[in-house]
Amino acid sequence: MEGISKYFPENRVQANRNVNLVVKKNEIHAIVGENGAGKSTLMKILYGLERPDKGRIVLNGKQVSIHSPMDANRLGIGMVHQHFRLIREFTVAENVVLGIEPKKNGLFFNRDKSVRDVRSVIEKYGFNINSESRVADLTVGQMQQVEIVKMLYRKADLLILDEPTSVLTEQEINRLFDNIRELKNQGKTFIIITHKLDEVKEISDRVTVMRRGEVVAVKETENVDQKELAKLMVGKSVLFKLKKDPVSPGAVVLELKNVSLKLKRQERPLLDRIDLKVRAGEIVGVAGVGGNGLGELEDVVTGLFKVSEGEIFYKGENITGLPASKFREKELGYVPADRLNRGSCLDSTVRENMIITRHHDFLKAGVFNQKKISVFVNNLFKSYSITGDTSVPIGTLSGGNIQKVILARELATNAELIIFSEPTWGLDVASGEFVYENILKLRKNGIAVLLISSNLDEIMNLADRIVVMYRGRITGRFTNDKSISKALIGEYMMGVRNDFN
Amino acid sequence: MKLIVKRKKNPENIFVNIFSLSVTMGIAFLIVIVLILFLSKDPAKTIRYFFIGPFLNRYYFGNMLNSAIPLIFTGLGIAIAFKASTFNLGGEGQVYSGALAATAVCLALPEANGFIGGSLAILAAIGVGAVLAGLSGLFKMKWGTDELISSFLISGAVVLIVNYFITGPMDDPANNLLTTREIAKQYRFMQIFPPSKLDISIFFAVLTAFLVFFFMFYTHWGYEMRMCGLNREFSRYGGIKVKFYLVLPMILSGSFQGLAGAVSVMGTYHMSVKGFSFGMGWNGIAVALIARNNPLAVIPAAIFFAYIEAGASAAMIHSDVTFEIAAIVESIIYFLITAQALKDFIRYRKRRTE
Ligand SMILES: Nc1ncnc2c1ncn2[C@@H]1O[C@H](COP(=O)(O)OP(=O)(O)OP(=O)(O)O)[C@@H](O)[C@H]1O
Ligand SMILES: [Mg+2]
Repeated sequence: MEGISKYFPENRVQANRNVNLVVKKNEIHAIVGENGAGKSTLMKILYGLERPDKGRIVLNGKQVSIHSPMDANRLGIGMVHQHFRLIREFTVAENVVLGIEPKKNGLFFNRDKSVRDVRSVIEKYGFNINSESRVADLTVGQMQQVEIVKMLYRKADLLILDEPTSVLTEQEINRLFDNIRELKNQGKTFIIITHKLDEVKEISDRVTVMRRGEVVAVKETENVDQKELAKLMVGKSVLFKLKKDPVSPGAVVLELKNVSLKLKRQERPLLDRIDLKVRAGEIVGVAGVGGNGLGELEDVVTGLFKVSEGEIFYKGENITGLPASKFREKELGYVPADRLNRGSCLDSTVRENMIITRHHDFLKAGVFNQKKISVFVNNLFKSYSITGDTSVPIGTLSGGNIQKVILARELATNAELIIFSEPTWGLDVASGEFVYENILKLRKNGIAVLLISSNLDEIMNLADRIVVMYRGRITGRFTNDKSISKALIGEYMMGVRNDFN
Repeated sequence: MKLIVKRKKNPENIFVNIFSLSVTMGIAFLIVIVLILFLSKDPAKTIRYFFIGPFLNRYYFGNMLNSAIPLIFTGLGIAIAFKASTFNLGGEGQVYSGALAATAVCLALPEANGFIGGSLAILAAIGVGAVLAGLSGLFKMKWGTDELISSFLISGAVVLIVNYFITGPMDDPANNLLTTREIAKQYRFMQIFPPSKLDISIFFAVLTAFLVFFFMFYTHWGYEMRMCGLNREFSRYGGIKVKFYLVLPMILSGSFQGLAGAVSVMGTYHMSVKGFSFGMGWNGIAVALIARNNPLAVIPAAIFFAYIEAGASAAMIHSDVTFEIAAIVESIIYFLITAQALKDFIRYRKRRTE
């Protein structure tokens, strides 16, 4: 890609400025950069989803013009987006063949053939999914695999992965990387966007660093270390150091007693007799691999799902069964894992997204005080260094900036309890650190924090106590001190060990 | 899950879509011209009356604006429901029964003060519409019954009941027409553009559009309603009582339909005539679609519809076009434009709920 420029007039952002990107055949090329640096935009241009204002794309020595993903597919380019684009009600096979379905008699959808074909792709590359399961029932890691299978099914040779690992657990990442290496051996080329610099070191051959829409460096991965990359990304050196002051926890704020969640027609409960306490000034980390009840735990402690059994207490008051709006009245802060559907309303403006939890505060006789809202929103923008216009749809912000808006909003409630679920998915190093600092600040201010995360490093760095979940049950409880190791917790996460059988 | 690629194609942004809409309108008019060329012996004259007929004299012009009034109300009602992602397909029955309710109140109080009695009549119409549509909202909330279907079915039944009243118990024995008696003089709205039937309620309609706009974009209910319409999961997460917003928009929507009925009776017809309001409900949907649910855009959209209707009838009166041809021409335009607006709307909703 040569001299690519792209300007978004809606929010006056120069997303790409004269970008040159050279990817060699059969290499794994990483792109790193802060949130909003223009990585996704560049890839969308390559994939035909955005048109560049300037510049050209050369593929295998020939200049090509890519107007749509169809063009890209024809040229052997495939892309997995930062946010998946699967139809939840469809099966894996249906999703994979969507748009290029095999036909029976040239007319009808050939279900059997598509299931067969998709299964053979899945097996060929050693993925771990069933081609007939419904996408809605899959874990995030599996959805990721479906996306990759989708590209392979389309015979892509150049595969673009936009932040493929940000939603995956350690094991899933390892598996993904194995897949990628295997595919590389079979001659495929990769472009991978990531915020995790250790992954850059681990998987890539070369790396391009972007900053504010421009390429600032291209390096052989061997010749750079993580520190240097981080420095290139933000333009100054970042110090990765979390300070955790000793805090003595106060009264119990949230308590779950024997909470179960069981769906009709389902044998195994999604949550099985969970007991959990979170005290003021304490961070309780809930670790687990996706699909083992973390999401459901998030749903019930915020009142979005009703428990089938057991009770939930907030500061001693029984709040079991109250509607979600009542939970919010209790000033509960909540940063959900599903930031695109639950955490934000993509079609409404940043401003409207920012006030959802507190919009009652800006009312005067039922009418909004727009000035007050502006002050509130602008302050949050400044203190969380979010870039962008506040009156554009939030969907036009970069993935990282959307998450920052959600964080800013939830931390701005006067909550005594904040629930974080996967708070740093998709954030760049600096922003991630910023989130960690904020979580620790909450702890220092005596706020109870429930941190649900499949990122074990995150949990080990922040939590005071750790609870591990496997198949909807708590399998281990630990005080986070020197006596425990990542490997040990990992065994509990995988169900190898269980203290409560 | 989804990714936002082409934000620019947001059909609720009326300015962006004015272009594509004009193209469709252009095509529709072209088809009309071709049709007229075939069907009329004096096409030049017909075309002339079709397009400029409504502006030829005070009478036509005033009547055109007059027939836009109920469409503004029904359009607003539908826009409110759509904005909250609820669907009110019961406009026909709600307008019709609103009209009957207003007529009944006026007839029951022949001697009352015009303002008080008139207000009661309007309130009765609003109430009937609100209850009819609100029921569908309530069913949706309680049992998840699709409000689109239930409102349509309820409306169908209500139309028959209203027909029965107009032709039965409330029929005016003094004439052979299927109408009720005329309402008393003090209830009739002031005519402002004689000799046309245009009455003072046009100002009321425009004012209402501004109020609805204000309601939607500046008040807390409007905000919560729009958020629920755009993303219920997010709204629930944010602490909004989403179930309430299955019912409220339907109630509001029905109220405006009922109001349209009252205004037609008190401003134009001065009685209920069998079937006189048919089409107002459906056209309200088309108006809302063209206006992309923007309350202010409802005004020009309603006038546009009234213009087509007026053009067709002018061509009918002054040229050799029969009633059928006029109806065909009207429906072609109606279908083309509605289809285009509907297509964008559905695509937009699909993308949103993916
Ligand atoms: N469709 C769009 N309309 C308007 N602005 C956009 C659009 N897409 C991206 N932008 C803007 O372009 C800039 C770069 O966005 P991009 O998504 O490429 O960032 P990124 O490097 O992928 O960041 P992240 O790591 O957070 O995903 C951002 O400021 C964003 O707001
Ligand atoms: Mg991105």
